[in-house]
Amino acid sequence: MSGLRQWPPTIALALALAIAAPRAAFAQEPPAAGGDAAGTRREESVPPARSIPPGAKPAKHSKMCGVCHSDIRVKYEKGVHKSEGVPCTSCHGGDANSITVAGAHGAGFRGKPARKSIPALCASCHADVAKMRFYNLPSDQYALYQLSYHGMRLAKGDESVAVCIDCHGVHEIRKPDDPQSRVFGRNIPGTCGHCHGDPDFRRRHGLKDDPVKDYEAGVHGKAYLSGQDPSAPECTRCHGSHGATPPGVGDVEKVCGQCHLKTRNYFLASPHKDAMDQAGQPECAACHNSHKTVAVPPEKFAESCLECHDKGDKEYKVALALSRMKDDASAQIDKADKLVAEAAAIPLYVEDYRSRLQDARTALLEAAPVTHSLDTLLVEPHTRRARSIAARVSEELHEKLASRWWNKVGLGLFWFYLLLTAVIVTRARRRAAGERGR
Amino acid sequence: MKDEEGTDLERRSALIWLSRGFLALWVPAAAGVSASFLKAPSTEHRPGERTIHAGTLSSLPVGEARFVHHGNDPVFVIRASDTQVVALSAICTHMRCVLRWEKESGTIHCPCHDGTFDRNGNPLSGPPKRALPQFGVEVRADDIVVHT
Amino acid sequence: MEPKQDDKKSFLGWVEARVNLTEIVSFLSVFGLLPAELDSKKPLREAIRGAMTQSLPSYARWPRVLGILSFLLFGFLAVTGMMLAFYYQPTSEQAYASVTLIARDVAFGTLIHQIHYWSAALLLIFLGARVVRFFFQGLYARGREIVWIAAVLSFVAAAITDLTGRLLPWDAPGYWTTVRAREVTDALPILGPITSFLVGGSTLDSMVLTRYYLLHVAIFPMILLVLFYLHFSSVRRVGMSHVVAVKANRSLRVAMYDMLLLVIFMVGGLMTLAVLFPQPFDVPADPFKTPPDARPPWYLLAPYALMEGLSFLPKFIRGLIPEAILAAVIALPFLDRESGSGGTRRLFRYAGIALLAIWGLLTWAGWFMEVRR
Repeated sequence: MSGLRQWPPTIALALALAIAAPRAAFAQEPPAAGGDAAGTRREESVPPARSIPPGAKPAKHSKMCGVCHSDIRVKYEKGVHKSEGVPCTSCHGGDANSITVAGAHGAGFRGKPARKSIPALCASCHADVAKMRFYNLPSDQYALYQLSYHGMRLAKGDESVAVCIDCHGVHEIRKPDDPQSRVFGRNIPGTCGHCHGDPDFRRRHGLKDDPVKDYEAGVHGKAYLSGQDPSAPECTRCHGSHGATPPGVGDVEKVCGQCHLKTRNYFLASPHKDAMDQAGQPECAACHNSHKTVAVPPEKFAESCLECHDKGDKEYKVALALSRMKDDASAQIDKADKLVAEAAAIPLYVEDYRSRLQDARTALLEAAPVTHSLDTLLVEPHTRRARSIAARVSEELHEKLASRWWNKVGLGLFWFYLLLTAVIVTRARRRAAGERGR
Repeated sequence: MKDEEGTDLERRSALIWLSRGFLALWVPAAAGVSASFLKAPSTEHRPGERTIHAGTLSSLPVGEARFVHHGNDPVFVIRASDTQVVALSAICTHMRCVLRWEKESGTIHCPCHDGTFDRNGNPLSGPPKRALPQFGVEVRADDIVVHT
Repeated sequence: MEPKQDDKKSFLGWVEARVNLTEIVSFLSVFGLLPAELDSKKPLREAIRGAMTQSLPSYARWPRVLGILSFLLFGFLAVTGMMLAFYYQPTSEQAYASVTLIARDVAFGTLIHQIHYWSAALLLIFLGARVVRFFFQGLYARGREIVWIAAVLSFVAAAITDLTGRLLPWDAPGYWTTVRAREVTDALPILGPITSFLVGGSTLDSMVLTRYYLLHVAIFPMILLVLFYLHFSSVRRVGMSHVVAVKANRSLRVAMYDMLLLVIFMVGGLMTLAVLFPQPFDVPADPFKTPPDARPPWYLLAPYALMEGLSFLPKFIRGLIPEAILAAVIALPFLDRESGSGGTRRLFRYAGIALLAIWGLLTWAGWFMEVRR
């Protein structure tokens, strides 16, 4: 994807050439009053009126604009504005039917809209409920945008932030469910990453981490981008799209809690909530990272608490207790697993045991959100269940496997019987040999 | 002499009969082994691994569900009404975790990512998007039998 | 022929008036189990009494037990095989499940299965050892050609039975061993196409499995029986060579007790092997997943290594070599016509040792060829 930064100059160049060439060729009259020399950007502070009244027949194509601006027309025709009949003049003004540049760029021509005015320009249709309801599209994007970090900085004069066209494209605007769209789910990290993953950008804003790379390395990124779990979040699910703002210190759990409900509820009831908010810690992200979301590995569980607590604290004791409960249950399950594998190799029927161990694993899995409550009394029933199921399975299997030992005992008895038989036969043989002589 | 011979002979014939009896035991042993080998094993859970016995109808109150172990594909049997029983797969359609029946709300909940299904297996909230597969249920004289 | 009636009116007498019992029982001597000739013209009791008074034929001597043991093992295989056949289902969908059923749910199923497995392994070893012994004792000399040929062909037939049996459980090692073995046999010029035709193709699917089943259960055991019969029949006619100093004859009765002791210890050995060294159950066959250590069975490793090693030769020539060697071994009595321990006999002996050594080396090489791959 070519850099967004290169588009405006390219378009300006294209426009300049397109306009200058025929001008030279046809020796046009200078444009009428109301328009400056072609190619200059016009400042627009007032959003233009919509050029197509509702219910009117949509324009079929770009009409004459595309004659000169052919490469733009090609891009435009791939997008949704074309298929929904939003013509060039809707954003750029001018006369789409004129065959002369003067005419085309005549009345009401706005040229290339100023960057600052783009959100307002798009909002002229997209914030209008009456217009948008035919398409069943929301109309709060502009309102959200103005509250977003991007929008607020734009209002302060920073034009380097994202405006509508940076994410949605300028002329080739595709629907979000089109896999080629820049705002298609799986393309979103790349779209946001265009700025947020750019090292220059990060340097300029004093940001250390590359959120896009982090996201791709975390569990959410891996699950989502691999297609394995389309319900995992991408950038907009946590940060919002139009109202994009990183969650503040006390709000992280609200974001994560959109999916991790139970975990959130336990967290809110735990001492961590207030303590972390007071300490300015970003709640969930303090242990699980923000973009490179990871689960805390069981062996590092207690260790990770030492980042804030000391070894002698009673909090650390709680951490150790929780860790031990989970490790015990986990170890029991592993032991039972090995026995199941041993039994299956014999083979014994192990499907029932396997399903019971699944129960045990589920119980252990359920302990994870409950752990966020930091309350051993709440966690204990789950780990106890996991442990006891696994222990019972191990016990039963041990019995079954021990019966194999009985096979060997049986072999011994068999040999005893066999040897006795051999003795009897030998004596009979000797008798027979004695009678007849060898 | 005769006495000795007599006693010897007696002991001898006793031994002979003992050893004969002993040797003869091989026959019933072999016959027993062969017979128990040839006895066809009961194919209770072997069936088409496809028929699951899910307990009795009378022990399942209306509106409640029972979780039935069945290897890697456990099922719920939910008594929808006096006469209707629904059998649903107890494996979540999101990422295949084992589901739990929530008695108070009458819903099915997944502990992995907080997915919920209603009592007909339709996804209510959370990541799961597909409904739970349903299986045929037959009630034979109070026994609930699920056909997967 | 009018059989003489027994003195008392007995059940035996009643039967013998209708059927020639002696003839039926004499199959034991035909297969060498009863080292005596039963005169089928006499009623049973008399015939046995008569046999007891004969001196023992020279071939019924210790340590020539391998033949008896082989036949015994064949008997075990037949019995356990028939029992297994009560449960086994020869289709690719059901085979593995049926064998799992035997091993898991049937009483003594694993035991019968393991006895079957170990009997087969021992049978091959014994038959091979017999061939080697015959060779080194020159027991293929004039008059004994059929003895030798039948012995060699018995080994081959037993190997084929073993081979066809490996596929039946339809587990991963069995399946892939068979695939590798087919690669070897298919490369042989004359025998390859015949094999392929007999088993119905080169892929291993359900129809091929059915044919393997038939070959394993009926055809090759029958061939093996015929070969055993021929072998023993020839031995009885030609008698044993005088290589080993002959001790005084035992009586038939004593010989029978000896045979019984042999059976007893054979049974003990088989049970021990079956219980202490059971062959593990493996995963079901997956035609799309080749285990890294899939090899041809041990008796085909040498031809495999030979043909792989001589890859610079055209395929036809390569395959001809093992066939030529096999043909030479079979036709040995006609190649080495000299009797006694003269010059050519010694030459052949050295050649035999060399061949055995090379075969051993090739087997070892064939085993490791897989690992290197």
